Amino acid sequence: MKVTVNHLARVEGDGGIVVEIEGDKVKNVEVTIFEGPRLIESLAVGKSPEENASFTPRICAICSVSHKNASIRASERALSYPEPEKTYLTRELMHTGEIIESNSLHVFALALPDFLGYPSVVAMVDKYEDVVLKALELKKFGNKIMKLLNGKFIHGENATAGGFGKYPEEQELLEIKEEAEGLLPFMLSAADIVGGLEIPDYLEEETVFVCCNPADNKFGFWGDELIFSDGSVIPSSDYKEYILEKTVPYSFAKRSLYKNKPFTVGALARLICIGDRLTGKASEYYKKYRNDRWTKNPFYNNLAQAIELIYALEKIPGLVEKTIELEDPLRQLPGRTEGRGVGTVEAPRGLLVHDYNYKDGLCTDANIITPTAMNLDDIERYIGLAARNLNKQGKDPDYMAFEFEKIARAYDPCISCATHLVKVIKK
Amino acid sequence: MKDKPSLGVYSFTGCAGCQLAILDCEDQLVDIFSAANVRVFYEAMSNNDDDAKVDIALVEGSINTDEQQEELKAVREKAKILIAFGSCAHHGCVQAMANGDGKWEERFKKVYGDAEFTVAKPMETRPLHEFVKVDGWIPGCPPGASQMLKALTQLINGSPPTYTNSAVCLECKFKENECLLNKHIMCLGPLTMGGCGAPCPSQNMPCVGCWGIIDEANHASELKKLMEYGFSKEEILRRFRLFGGSDIVDKVSELLEAK
Repeated sequence: MKVTVNHLARVEGDGGIVVEIEGDKVKNVEVTIFEGPRLIESLAVGKSPEENASFTPRICAICSVSHKNASIRASERALSYPEPEKTYLTRELMHTGEIIESNSLHVFALALPDFLGYPSVVAMVDKYEDVVLKALELKKFGNKIMKLLNGKFIHGENATAGGFGKYPEEQELLEIKEEAEGLLPFMLSAADIVGGLEIPDYLEEETVFVCCNPADNKFGFWGDELIFSDGSVIPSSDYKEYILEKTVPYSFAKRSLYKNKPFTVGALARLICIGDRLTGKASEYYKKYRNDRWTKNPFYNNLAQAIELIYALEKIPGLVEKTIELEDPLRQLPGRTEGRGVGTVEAPRGLLVHDYNYKDGLCTDANIITPTAMNLDDIERYIGLAARNLNKQGKDPDYMAFEFEKIARAYDPCISCATHLVKVIKK
Repeated sequence: MKDKPSLGVYSFTGCAGCQLAILDCEDQLVDIFSAANVRVFYEAMSNNDDDAKVDIALVEGSINTDEQQEELKAVREKAKILIAFGSCAHHGCVQAMANGDGKWEERFKKVYGDAEFTVAKPMETRPLHEFVKVDGWIPGCPPGASQMLKALTQLINGSPPTYTNSAVCLECKFKENECLLNKHIMCLGPLTMGGCGAPCPSQNMPCVGCWGIIDEANHASELKKLMEYGFSKEEILRRFRLFGGSDIVDKVSELLEAK
């Protein structure tokens, strides 16, 4: 028996799933990516930090600000740019905007229809109009932040190596603060809706999680260290020693292993590794819903994304207050013309690595690893586990195909990101 | 009342930002789905009908495998009107920046090593019009909301989509920005399709050329000006290519040969 999902729906990009089952054995599970390879890393060679900040985010629209921040961090570390506090805070606010936009799109528009039995978010309008409209408002708010700080919803150019072309006006920032405060009550009630969903139990197994380790023991979306759920903490620049990349013939997306095993990145990984650092309502909700199934069941990713939305809305007022106190800094210049820099950030769907070498101010070598590429092996593992259990329960192929698609979707896969990838593929 | 036109959104290689730009029209999203009979839109819904004939096909992304060529031809056969939706579909965008340099295989090896693939046969990025007839274009990386909603409204009501074919400079002047070129900053506004509202120069950032080249672009003149300002020819041509895709290949060769 072959269970096939030809084309994954409600995910970003083009991919499919094939599961082969013989009797009570699951013979093969393949998540196929059929987007063509764009060779972005090879195109980064010969470019300046500004050019890389401009074109590498085109890897992916929905993670474009994360790619922008990862690219900037890598270039600034390679060439020793100073980072004034206002620049840092403005970047953090911009990143928070992307988390809000992307998490709300995924939780409400892409994943929630699965749990409530609808083909799309638009089809949910009749019965859940209030939730749908408010969720779209939240998504729009994330976009508004990105447009204000980066110039466009998608692929703005205001943020670059050395800072910003223009910093926002105080009044514009105060509007953002007010809107964040206004949306928080909705998000608290919406998180309870997501927290109340029944989570399927046909795929439970422990895995390893990893995310950035933000400085000063805080929760956040970047850092120069990585933290694993097994307790290890490593400098980001050593990532190659811990995360091994490989290719598979049926997909243009590369895969990654940690200690020879698949691992998971994303909102769930962040809450598992550093969720105990949350404060305020986000912490309250984390404690209310955290249970021992979280480390075994990828469906909890949707709830983790909802709790991060609370964190993001609570974070904004403080960021705005600090930012408006500070003078706009001038564009910063590099302190040297050669060096290596690794920029690790948390894209909405997980750890993102940009690693550049520069000589005479131009890039000589680039390596980028995206979150979906890291998640693919675990997505296949959990689909395989689900296939064994659902097959035992005698479920038919159509039923299974729908469940497999739901599992893939729970990871919020971003296929544009996954397709491109790294080098050094020794077979 | 006339039947609602049917609409399909199809995606090939790119960042999926053009589809996302539709989802980013939060205030109009429900209206779009009510005004057209949306048959295929994988990023937004799961009840897609792949075999459906559609009145309007919006196709995002560029073509860079043999299978995609066949799929694109199949979309062409199903669609009355096929629109190149965004920069990748129209001229290949960033993944086509090195087209024509003869080094694609070398770059492929650099990224993937000797790995072999059964999924499809990869190739250098090409825009849609090299394989099928394209009936219209919605420019942008990604298309901006106002221009896209106008084009969708036109298409849904049976008119061809129209777009701005004047340089970014025009909109930049309307905003009364100080000209960045006059400050000797490498701005590609004079060469680049407007319609974006000049967000980048409005934030003191030079235009990178992401919406593609306007018909009357004068690359030779901009090259000369920038060289007078002290930029090297190599750097200028590199910037011309960054977002120029396959549209820029011949122009760059001409400029390279000119003294």
